[in-house]
Amino acid sequence: MKNLKILLVASILGAIAISYAVADDDGYSKNYKNKNSKYQVSPVKNSLYKEECASCHFGYQAGLLPKRSWEKLMEPKELENHFGDDASVDEKTRLTLLSYLTKNAADSKGNRSRLSKKLDSKISRYSTPIAISETRYFKREHDEIPRRLIVQEDVKSIANCVACHTTAQKGYYGERDIKIPNYGRWDD
Amino acid sequence: MKKRFILLLLPLAMFGADLNPKMQEYMSQLESKAKQENPSFSGFNYTRGEKIFTSTHIGKRGKPISCTSCHTTDLTQKGKNIHTGKILSPISPLVNPKSMAKVKNVKKWLKRNFKDVYNRVGTAQEKGDVIVYITTKK
Repeated sequence: MKNLKILLVASILGAIAISYAVADDDGYSKNYKNKNSKYQVSPVKNSLYKEECASCHFGYQAGLLPKRSWEKLMEPKELENHFGDDASVDEKTRLTLLSYLTKNAADSKGNRSRLSKKLDSKISRYSTPIAISETRYFKREHDEIPRRLIVQEDVKSIANCVACHTTAQKGYYGERDIKIPNYGRWDD
Repeated sequence: MKKRFILLLLPLAMFGADLNPKMQEYMSQLESKAKQENPSFSGFNYTRGEKIFTSTHIGKRGKPISCTSCHTTDLTQKGKNIHTGKILSPISPLVNPKSMAKVKNVKKWLKRNFKDVYNRVGTAQEKGDVIVYITTKK
């Protein structure tokens, strides 16, 4: 009887815990209560973007580049030679994607991510990088990683965020979630 | 004689069996265009499609590349983008019903990937041939 009571209390507590976890369904993982984390950008929520862009590569969050960068990257001529590949889309798709990207860009009005602001603030106003990996802040953050860990088969290139940033999909790039394949955790 | 007869019938049989109505319509469009481009055209062909898919060419990046570089030779298995490392769902509709199902997507990928591998767009005949190959390869 006593055992039964304990079981009952335990299951009620469990149910409460689960309901809390489920309630926290706002696009951020329940592990990241602090949306103002220095390393958090708003995750991708646009299904067209996921389908059109993230079918070939990691779906970089719009908040990782400023508006002017997305505008340049999404020019028809640019898309035809998109980092060496043909990524052209029809005009309607292109404009929809561009609108999503610019509305959520690093320097967009509604974007309150500190990571977006940091990235954006380190880009010269006179330059328009189309690769996040070309930006100054990005380079500084990654300059200590040995080349062999980047070019290895499990990573391929510095552009493959999610290979090491295990929670990159959620827009979280904090150090505690870094795990480099065939190396392990990265402590700065 | 018998063998030749089967070979002639094969592409036709494949055509109807695996493609949805919209895709069949697209195939018919490709067929009439292929006839215009090549008067001796007599239907899409699995073997030609296989060659298109598995042969290596100097691609857009100026380096040797094949469709199989990313999609692998087993179309029922997952592929991997050789440049980005992104895992690709199997291209064979036999295991992935979403593949080769939407005309819009098929057109998009044929355009992109012919450029990536052949550094030019594909002809109507080539497109039809490779669709037959992808949709029926076991």
